[in-house]
Amino acid sequence: MSEPMIKTNQLTKHYGEIKAVDQLDLTVNEGEVVGFLGPNGSGKTTTLLMLMGLSLPTSGTASVGGYSVIEQSKNVRQIAAMLPEGAGYYDDLTARQNLRYIGELNEIPRDELETRIDELFDMVSLKKWADTKVGKFSRGMKQRLGIMEVLVKKPKIAFFDEPTLGLDPKATKELRDLLIRLNKDYNLTIMMSSHLLYEIQQTCQRVLIIRKGQLVVSDSIANLSNHFDGKDRTSIEFELTKVSSDLIQKLKDIDGVTSVDKESKNKLFVQTNIDKSQEISEAITKSGSTILLMKPKEHSLEEIFLNYYEDD
Amino acid sequence: MTSFIVVCKKELADHLGSKRFLLLFALIIVLSLVSAYQGAESIRQLGSGAFVNIFSSSMSGLSFTYVMLMFGPIIGLALGFDAINREKSQGSLSVLLSQPIFRDSIINGKFLAGIIALSLLAVSTIGIMTGAAIPMLGFGPSPDHIVRIVAFTLVTILYLSVWLSIGVLFSTLTKKTTTSMLASISMWIFSAVVISIVASLVANTVYPTVWPSSVYSSGGMLDQNFFDDYMERMELQNELRTTIQRFSPSILYQEASSAIITINRVPVTSSSGELIFDSSTGFPSIQYVDEAQDILTNWPQIVVLAVVAGACFAASYMIFLRKEIRAGN
Repeated sequence: MSEPMIKTNQLTKHYGEIKAVDQLDLTVNEGEVVGFLGPNGSGKTTTLLMLMGLSLPTSGTASVGGYSVIEQSKNVRQIAAMLPEGAGYYDDLTARQNLRYIGELNEIPRDELETRIDELFDMVSLKKWADTKVGKFSRGMKQRLGIMEVLVKKPKIAFFDEPTLGLDPKATKELRDLLIRLNKDYNLTIMMSSHLLYEIQQTCQRVLIIRKGQLVVSDSIANLSNHFDGKDRTSIEFELTKVSSDLIQKLKDIDGVTSVDKESKNKLFVQTNIDKSQEISEAITKSGSTILLMKPKEHSLEEIFLNYYEDD
Repeated sequence: MTSFIVVCKKELADHLGSKRFLLLFALIIVLSLVSAYQGAESIRQLGSGAFVNIFSSSMSGLSFTYVMLMFGPIIGLALGFDAINREKSQGSLSVLLSQPIFRDSIINGKFLAGIIALSLLAVSTIGIMTGAAIPMLGFGPSPDHIVRIVAFTLVTILYLSVWLSIGVLFSTLTKKTTTSMLASISMWIFSAVVISIVASLVANTVYPTVWPSSVYSSGGMLDQNFFDDYMERMELQNELRTTIQRFSPSILYQEASSAIITINRVPVTSSSGELIFDSSTGFPSIQYVDEAQDILTNWPQIVVLAVVAGACFAASYMIFLRKEIRAGN
């Protein structure tokens, strides 16, 4: 198995008495799209800054693409790119000049840089604004410029810190689609933090939840949904021709069924801690009802997220 | 190294294209031309024949050195006061630092771009003045005056660089550009106006020189002892005032530049120190002081200016390199 793209080992960052990141251990594999979640002040941005080599850890180690973020931070920044929260641009320069500046700092040969810039303008549909001063750009356009600045150096990994902040729903969807496309087309490893949990759910294959600087969850959303409340628990949604109180009682009597809730006239949610779908189906059929729909209930990321923060 | 040049090129283009710089540049050019005209008039009326006096002479007080003393700090500070904190406030610093470059290339590039812009300003202004003064006077600078003009240009660049480095220092020390701008303006006012007032107050307090009503002896003659004591105190007072004033880069520049562009004439003396008299006029023979001698006379001022510029830059460099990038930067 290849080396993880990101690996941290007991990564810690203190600001005086405050522990921003506390002995964080995480791994991200090549080609993964990972959501990095946590409330304000949980240490997300500090972690991303340390992974980019912009902030020195108080203790612990971290590597990105095999390079140490402490001793080889310049190498890290050659293969990794970051779109920081509230990233700003040079308003007096055009979008093309902004990109050219970033490209030159990355020592990309001039001809190659110009070709790449044109490709990127096409990719983010900003070509007709290429020679417009950035000061005239909307928030969404600036965010797309930020994506271009990330991509102009062809990174292996990209960090996005709240990339959808302040964007309208249309721009948010466009950005989400772009990130998914970049991951598919270029095998770009993406680690993004966002407060928009729906976006994370739609974009990311795995989520990392951080709480008070410590990693509390690292799993796929599907697994987290199944292990909701920290137990092996499956919720099944049934749509039936009829729902009687007798049927509900019979279902509750099945060993392994933990709860049965009638949602509407002919809709039921049955929760089990082991797979009992066969027995449940039989009990329904015997009661004289017909199953119109049967599907596992998925928990939203919001429910999962709030579950980890209910004590805070 | 490459990233340092990239940053420098971008910053230089920013400076030369900025309205702020162009406006101040235009103002300096206009004032310099006025001062060149007045300098030439002054030379013609006094008949001194010293070309470099166009930079120091003026009938109304608006000499080029005065223009530089008053407006030089503004232009130096204008290029430096928001060099670092503007990047922070507009959110581009974290983007910049996310590139594979070393931090020092950012501050070095910015500083060098500022010095180049100021050098262009000084060279072009002094060049235009020299060019304009030749037809006004009807003669050009002699070779030794050219040496003086070059030396004066270098000292002017050094003086402007002092203010640039003070501006850059404020921009690394403060988060907001408005704060660094106010700090820069305060520094300029202190250096140009306040320090002279403070120096006079301190000198008068330490060495009071009061001329009492009865300092005459019984014979109506001036009391020589009192007079000697009074003169000594005056001298000490002046010395202290000058020493305090030298904390101002403006005073240092004034002293250093006036030594270079003011042509001094001294009596010719023999090796034993006796005056040599002109046989035709009967007056002591007069000679111009050698330009190298003039420059060397005021080398401490030049060294102090260089030290101040270097110290401010070094402090900015250290602060910037150690600055923690945190969430929200």
